[in-house]
Amino acid sequence: MYWSGLSAAANAAAAYQTGQTGYPVGHTPTGTYTTQRAAGSTYDTGYQTAAAAAATHSTAAGTYPSAAASATYDYGYGRTTQTAAAAAAAAYDSSKTYYAQPSTATAYTGADTHYHNKTAYTNAGAYTTTSRQTTPVVTPKTSYTSTYPGAAAAAATATYNTSPYAVQTTTANKATALPVYMQQTSQPATAVAAVKTPGNTWQTFKKQGTVPNKTQKPKAPPKPQQLHYCDVCKISCAGPQTYREHLEGQKHKKKEAAAKAGPTPSRHGASLRCELCDVTCTGADAYAAHIRGAKHQKVVKLHQKLGKPIPSTDPVVVGGTTKTSTTTAGTAVGAKTTTSGTTAAPTGTLAATTTTTTSDGKKDDLKEDLLDLKEKDVEPVGQEYIEEIKNEEGKVISFNCKLCECRFNDPNAKEMHMKGRRHRLQYKKKVNPELVVEVKPSLRQRKLQEEKLRRQQLREEMWRRREEERLLEEEERWYWEERRRYEEECEYLDWCRRYPRGPPGPPPMMPPGMPRPPFMPGMPPMMPMRRPDSSDDRHVLAKHAEIYPKEEELGAIQKIVSNTEKALKMVSDYLAEVDAPKEQHIKPKAKKEKEEVPKDDDDKKDGDKKEDGPPRMLKGVMRVGILAKGLLLRGDASVQLVVLCGDKPTRTLLDRVADNLPKQLAVVAPEDKYDIQRVVEEAALVVQNIGEQRISVNVTLTSPIMREQLLHDGDSQVTAVKDPPDVLDKQKCLDALAALRHAKWFQHTFPQARANGLQSCVMVIRILRDLCQRVPTWGPLNSWAMELMCEKVIASAGQHLSPGDALRRVFEALASGLLLPGSPGLLDPCEKDPIDAASPLSAQEREDITASAQHALRLIAFRQIHKVLGMDPIPPPKFQRGGRFTRKRRRDNSTGEGNDSEGGDGKKDKKEDEDSKMDMDKDTNSSKHLMVEGH
Amino acid sequence: MRGGMIRPMGPGPHFGPKMKQFVPRLPFDMVLCESAFPRVKAAPDESAFTQALLKRNADLSPTPAEQAAVLNLVTKIQAVMDNLIVDPGNFDACQIEEVRQVGSYKKGTMMTGHNVADIVVILKTLPTKEAVEALGKKVCDDLRAQEPQEVLVLTMLPNDRGFEISNSEATVRVLVTTIHQNLRKLDPELHLDQKILQSHLAAIRHSRWFEENAHHSTIKVLIRLLRDLRGRFEGFEPLSPWMLDLLAHYAILNNPSRQALPINSAFRRCLQLLAAGLFLPGSAGISDPCEGGNIRVHTAMTLEQQDLVCLTAQTLLRVLSHGGYKQILGLEGNSSIASEMSVWDGVVVSALEKAYEKPPERPPQDDDTDNMDADDDPMETTDN
Repeated sequence: MYWSGLSAAANAAAAYQTGQTGYPVGHTPTGTYTTQRAAGSTYDTGYQTAAAAAATHSTAAGTYPSAAASATYDYGYGRTTQTAAAAAAAAYDSSKTYYAQPSTATAYTGADTHYHNKTAYTNAGAYTTTSRQTTPVVTPKTSYTSTYPGAAAAAATATYNTSPYAVQTTTANKATALPVYMQQTSQPATAVAAVKTPGNTWQTFKKQGTVPNKTQKPKAPPKPQQLHYCDVCKISCAGPQTYREHLEGQKHKKKEAAAKAGPTPSRHGASLRCELCDVTCTGADAYAAHIRGAKHQKVVKLHQKLGKPIPSTDPVVVGGTTKTSTTTAGTAVGAKTTTSGTTAAPTGTLAATTTTTTSDGKKDDLKEDLLDLKEKDVEPVGQEYIEEIKNEEGKVISFNCKLCECRFNDPNAKEMHMKGRRHRLQYKKKVNPELVVEVKPSLRQRKLQEEKLRRQQLREEMWRRREEERLLEEEERWYWEERRRYEEECEYLDWCRRYPRGPPGPPPMMPPGMPRPPFMPGMPPMMPMRRPDSSDDRHVLAKHAEIYPKEEELGAIQKIVSNTEKALKMVSDYLAEVDAPKEQHIKPKAKKEKEEVPKDDDDKKDGDKKEDGPPRMLKGVMRVGILAKGLLLRGDASVQLVVLCGDKPTRTLLDRVADNLPKQLAVVAPEDKYDIQRVVEEAALVVQNIGEQRISVNVTLTSPIMREQLLHDGDSQVTAVKDPPDVLDKQKCLDALAALRHAKWFQHTFPQARANGLQSCVMVIRILRDLCQRVPTWGPLNSWAMELMCEKVIASAGQHLSPGDALRRVFEALASGLLLPGSPGLLDPCEKDPIDAASPLSAQEREDITASAQHALRLIAFRQIHKVLGMDPIPPPKFQRGGRFTRKRRRDNSTGEGNDSEGGDGKKDKKEDEDSKMDMDKDTNSSKHLMVEGH
Repeated sequence: MRGGMIRPMGPGPHFGPKMKQFVPRLPFDMVLCESAFPRVKAAPDESAFTQALLKRNADLSPTPAEQAAVLNLVTKIQAVMDNLIVDPGNFDACQIEEVRQVGSYKKGTMMTGHNVADIVVILKTLPTKEAVEALGKKVCDDLRAQEPQEVLVLTMLPNDRGFEISNSEATVRVLVTTIHQNLRKLDPELHLDQKILQSHLAAIRHSRWFEENAHHSTIKVLIRLLRDLRGRFEGFEPLSPWMLDLLAHYAILNNPSRQALPINSAFRRCLQLLAAGLFLPGSAGISDPCEGGNIRVHTAMTLEQQDLVCLTAQTLLRVLSHGGYKQILGLEGNSSIASEMSVWDGVVVSALEKAYEKPPERPPQDDDTDNMDADDDPMETTDN
């Protein structure tokens, strides 16, 4: 390093630097120093004031006379040089080692040098406390003034520095070394203009670490006063030897540490303090005793001897609010300013001014405080918390304070305890937070802490008052709410997190690529779900996928239905041809064209209307029921077609169709074999394919005329009389017509193409269809009523519902008594008269369905929707939390339920049925799941 | 709690309205979607049912003598407390901040045979058990001083909520709480339970809300009927008075026309709502108007209790629809209709089974059991 090179002349310099290069303060010693020190020009900016100051010691020592600084400055340095036994080299070495030393070790010696100096100044009290931390500042400052760069902020602290001196000038009239002292005061006077702050700020920033190092090796101050007075302990020593010993003694160190930690100034609470001895008394009596005491007298004498100012014997009441730094309380002022750090300057000046103006007003305050204090002593609190402990004879033998958990035998002690601070504190803490308890005076830490707390409280007061209520209660309630929040929601969120937009999750539906059969409306494979699915949704979707027919099934049904339709059309043509010659000549060809697409209702209607000639016997064929509505489920092997006839269908007609149909079927599908049966009582014939999959198509003959007649004139018997004798069963025909209307309503309500909010509804209807097939209780609920109900219930929600929610809502509606007597009923939109679509249900059936729905609703709410759906529970994707519903568990449960419930109620049987069915199906189910999920 | 672990998206705080994705839904409510269900046939005549409801209400209402007795005692105690606020004298065990009347007395939903009024005392000081007892003694002494003839009948019994002062005809429960600032300074060893204190503060909010929102007479009648129902059917036990208040208010006023429903419809609607799962998990339920943050009142019940309440309502609803209102109102029969099979006009109405299962493989300190007492204002739970 360059240091070694440049300061080869001065080892000390090198030493300092090694000790201090770490310090960041950039004070370059220039001016007089630089000239004296070869090293000066090379001083790094990293060099700090402390180092500089220390360096100046040596240089000053060497070049003392030639120092350009003022006399006061010299004087300040003189101290150190003098203490260094005027041997520059020696001082150097020692200081060198000092810098190497840990600061704690040097602390007290540093202080002690100050005190020596102080004795020289004579106004030790005031000076020391400030100097304890500020002295070094002062010294370099004066020398640096001219050279310090940005010292603008200094003014304030400059005044601060002067303040103690000012105090001293006013008060320390008895100073023996007045000239010296005056010299010193003059120093600030000159130096005030010169900015001192850099040093000061640095000072506060540095604190103990290096400060004490600076002023080194005490030794006899050169000044006249040879009294070895320790200002910390307020004692004088007989000689330098004893003084040194004292300084190294435990007692002194303790005091020193205490002073450093908190130089005892203003405190909270009320207590009496002897400024002179720095002794705090808790009460007036104690204070009086102290004043009378030998120790105090001794100190007074000593101070008199030293010519130090002696404060009045009036106690200083140190109260929370009034920080009465008495006239001579130089120490207090100094300490205060140093402790308050950055705000030192203003307070310092303040203190200075107040102290200079001083005193009468203060004494009044003082007295008030005293009165205050005494008054407070009188009031015991918390008597009700002191238990009297009695012996067997009922005599009170001791007391137990429940607040403080302590005991005493003496009633007086009890009294004292109740007045005591500790007890009052406990009382404040546990009973009345507003009780004012004086703060224990001796613990500065405590004071600081409390100060901090108080500030914090003030700061928080505002928002706390506002928030407290909520914070306390809401948070609590949220906590409970949270804890109670149902598993489902958690799981559901879990799921959301894993699959933010739900790609892998949305349960196994039809593989997207698969072409949808044209006649299955309302089931878009990937529904645009607004939010990810809940557990219920997943179950519903999985169940739906399970009951949704397989592609082969749909294909087979599609095939037989279209073949039948084609064949029926040809039958129609044939009949028309056969009939035509008998009645009139019509062009069958034209009709053929018109009826080309028999599937399509509208076209057919058109055809019907356009037909001018005598009507065909068979006007058209239409799909109804699950086929038309797209509600086919897996395993459904029976679909319905309706053939609209021009006139009332008769048995003759049925026979003719049945006779002709096989021929036409053979034409349409020569390779397939169909079996055709007449079911006259049903007004239908059944076409069944012959193969591994038996699918039957019920073809019902009906005619709108039957209903028109009914609607137009219920009582006109004339037309009825005219009926051919072998007309088919009227009710069946009417049913077929109604089925036609229902299909239309359904197709209108759930348009295949439109993505309205009702996909869930179709899904729910399929699920309920499955339920009605599976569960005997639900069997009586006819599909039309069920469809209507689902539509009404789900549409009335007024919002899009996910499949799970939609299903739950249907159960909610049933549970709230939708089917029960007294409810509005389900108005059938396809009938002219107000008719309850569920009217076929008996009261008992309604009751049973309602009860079942009520139970199902609660099962859904309590996360057992799989029981309602008759399926295995689906674990939450990937991260099931401890297998909530394992198969084993469910089985246990179902048997348990069976055991618990009393026999003789139908619901239980139903459930057992379900359970057994589930058990039976379990394997197939799960394999299906796997398959579907594999897509 | 696991809530933190699974926070999916959104940086919301741990507690608070972060459960964005979970949108509780109101259950099906016939009254709200009446338009979707036009009546197929005229509504059945319910005048007999209405009469029965009114009669029951009349039976349940306190007699003028009872009312006078309670009023008398409440007034005296209130006066003594007010005096203590203004001039505590040498009474220093505690300082009273405020005294308020709450509960069924304040709301006007008292029931006969239960002559108990509730008063909440807010202390400025911390509510130690000793302080509460001292206050009780003091109030009692002052009362005795005022009414020397009552010295013998007047009793004071401290309990963990405060104390009760009763004379021969009436009882006033003095519920002690403290100001909010003090709530966090509580020490369970020394002071009353914090939950209790908070519930007392909540009671004040409840009675205030009630005054402002639920003064309609039909609501009071319905509340009385529901409380009676709760008293007679075990399954409704978990419903707190506050829940009943809110339910009654909801059932009567929450309809499209915003006009109060007649009592018969409202009574049925209460059962319908409960049966439809208004107070089940996943339902939006009724959010507490006196607490911030959309707290659903029914979450104060455990899941098991929610199940029980729901199934009781479901069974009763079916009984009601088959004409069993007299049994439901307690004019005839007993409460077995809720738990046993009954026959109405040849229709067999069977009771329901519980759906709730205790979750398996969960540690025993599961949520469901330990907050049984976290009711909204549990001090009223013994009301009936």
